[in-house]
Amino acid sequence: MSRGDLYGLLIEFESPSLLMAAVEKVRDAGFKRWDVHTPFPVHGMDDAMGIRGTRLPWIILGGGLTGLVAATAMQWWMNAIDYPFVISGKPLFGLPANIPIMFELTVLFSAFATFFGMWGLNGMPKLYNPLLTSRRFRRATQDRFFIVIEARDPAFKLEKTREFLASLGGSEVEEIHESAED
Amino acid sequence: MSHPSFPRLEDTNTSLDGLGGRVFTISAVVGVLGLAATFALGAAQGDGLRRLGFTYLTSYTYILSISLGALTFIPIMYVTKASWNIVVRRLAEVMAAVMPLLAVLAIPVILFAGQVYGWADPQVAASPAMAHKAAYFSRGAFILRWVIYFAIWSLYGLFFWRQSLGQDADGDVQRTLRLENYSGFSIMIGAVSIAMASFDLLMSLDPLWFSTIFGVYYWAGGFVSFFAVMTLVTFGLQNTGRMTRIVSPEHLHDYGKAMFAFTFFWGYIAFSQYMLYWYANIPEETNWFLERSREGWGKLGIALIFVAFALPFAGLISRFAKRSRKMLAFWAFWIIAAQWLNIFWVVMPGYSEHFVFSIMDVTCFVGLAGVWLAAVTRLAMGHSLVPLKDPRLEASLRFENA
Repeated sequence: MSRGDLYGLLIEFESPSLLMAAVEKVRDAGFKRWDVHTPFPVHGMDDAMGIRGTRLPWIILGGGLTGLVAATAMQWWMNAIDYPFVISGKPLFGLPANIPIMFELTVLFSAFATFFGMWGLNGMPKLYNPLLTSRRFRRATQDRFFIVIEARDPAFKLEKTREFLASLGGSEVEEIHESAED
Repeated sequence: MSHPSFPRLEDTNTSLDGLGGRVFTISAVVGVLGLAATFALGAAQGDGLRRLGFTYLTSYTYILSISLGALTFIPIMYVTKASWNIVVRRLAEVMAAVMPLLAVLAIPVILFAGQVYGWADPQVAASPAMAHKAAYFSRGAFILRWVIYFAIWSLYGLFFWRQSLGQDADGDVQRTLRLENYSGFSIMIGAVSIAMASFDLLMSLDPLWFSTIFGVYYWAGGFVSFFAVMTLVTFGLQNTGRMTRIVSPEHLHDYGKAMFAFTFFWGYIAFSQYMLYWYANIPEETNWFLERSREGWGKLGIALIFVAFALPFAGLISRFAKRSRKMLAFWAFWIIAAQWLNIFWVVMPGYSEHFVFSIMDVTCFVGLAGVWLAAVTRLAMGHSLVPLKDPRLEASLRFENA
C-alpha cells in the first residue's frame, strides 16, 4: 500500500535548549508552514518562531459588535414595532431597560466568535494528523521536542530541506507521509 | 540556552534613597499650601465653611478610596497566591499603611458634618421617615463608626506592611502562609467596613435615600483609581532609574488589564444602580438621581458615562494599549480625573441644585493628594521598594502573560 503524498520532514531534539537554537534557525531560513511540538509550553517560543500576533481579537470585536447591534435591533423591533405594549409607563424603546440584553448578547457573540474563531484559525476540527503515523512522535507528549516542516511550504525542497534540518543537531530526519505504512 | 535572561533584583535600584527626601518635601509643601489655600478660599465664601466642607468631603473620600483599594488589593493577592504582583506589592503596602494619617484627615469631615450631611439638618431630622434612623444618624454614632473603621483599616494596613518588612529581614516563609490565612477574613471585614463607610461618607448626604449597591460603587471607583496610581508611581520610579527591568512590560500589561477590567466593573455597577431605580420609578428612590439629572449636574452625569466608562474602556481594550507606557500613563491620569469627577458628581448636588465648580475643588484635591503622597513616600523611605524575600519573588521576576 502506498504511503501517500509527502506531508513533511520531522526532526527530534532531546531538550528545550537544543530545540530553541534550532527553532531560531528555521525561522531565519524563512519557512512559513512549519510547527514545533513540545510536551509543555516553552517560554519565549513565540518570539523564537517569529509568530506574529493573532488576528483573533479582531474576529472577537466583530462578533461583539454584531451581538450589540442584533440585541438593539431585536428589542427595538419587538417592543416598539411588532408588538407595542406600554409597561409601567416606560417608553416603548427605553434604552436603560434594553442595556442588559445588549450587554449579554455582546458577551455571548464575543464568546462564540472567540471559540469558533479559534477553531477556524487552528484548522479545527481536525480528526487526523499525519504526524501520528510516526512512532517516534509519540514522545512529543512525554520528553521529546519536535520540529516539522511541511512539504507545502513554498521554501520546501526535499533534499535541501533535509540537509538543512540534519545540520540543526537533532536526531535523524524522518519523512512523514499522509498515511501510515500498512 | 537561548532563553531570554530574567532580570534580578541586583540589576536595578530598589531603594528610594536620594529621591525620597525630595519627593517628601515637595509633596508635603504642595499639600500644606494646597490645603491652606483651600481653607482661605473656603473662609472667603462667608457661608460658615459649608462650601469648604463639601469640597473637602469630595477629595478626602476620593483619596481614601485609593488607599482602600490598596488595602483590598494586598489580601486578594495573598488568598489567590498570585505571584505577578510581588515586585510591586511594597508600593501597595505603603499606600495601605498610611491609614492612620487618613484617620487624622477624617477629623474635618466630622467637624463639617453639621454643614454637610442631611441628617444633621434639623428639618430633615424631623421628617417621620427619619424616626427609625435617628439613633444611627447621631453625631456620636457617626464618630464611633469612624473610630471603628479606622481601627480596622489601620490595623490591617500596618499589619500587611510590617509583616512584609519583617520577611525582608528574616525571610520566614511562615509569614506568607499566615498572611494567606488572615487575608480571607480581611477581605470580608474590609468589604463590610468599606460599604458602611461609603454609606456614612456619601450616601448619608441624603439620609432618606438608600442603595444597597452603593458600597460596591464606591469601592470599584477606588480600586480602578488605585491601579492608575500604581501605574503612575511605578513610572515615576522607573523614570528615575528605580525598579527598572524588574517591573517589565508583562507587569505593566497587568496594570492595564486591571484598569480595563475595573473601569468596566465600575460602569457595570453604576448602571446596575441606575437601572433598578429607573425601572421601579419609586419617588423616594429616584429622588437622588433626580437631583443629579437637573441642568448642569445632568450634563455632568451623561458626560461621566463617556469620561469614566466608555472612553477608557475603548482606550484600554487592545493589548497594544495595555503594553504601551505612553497609553498607560495617559489613561492612568485620565481615570484618576474621571473617578474624582464621579465623586464630585455624587457629593456636590447636595450643596447646590445648580452646577458649581471652583478653583477650591482643585486646590483641595492637590492639597490632600500632596499630604497623602508625602506620607506614602515617608513610609517607603529606608526600606526596599520590593519585598526582598517573598517566596514568590522569583516567579514574579519571571512573570510572563500567556
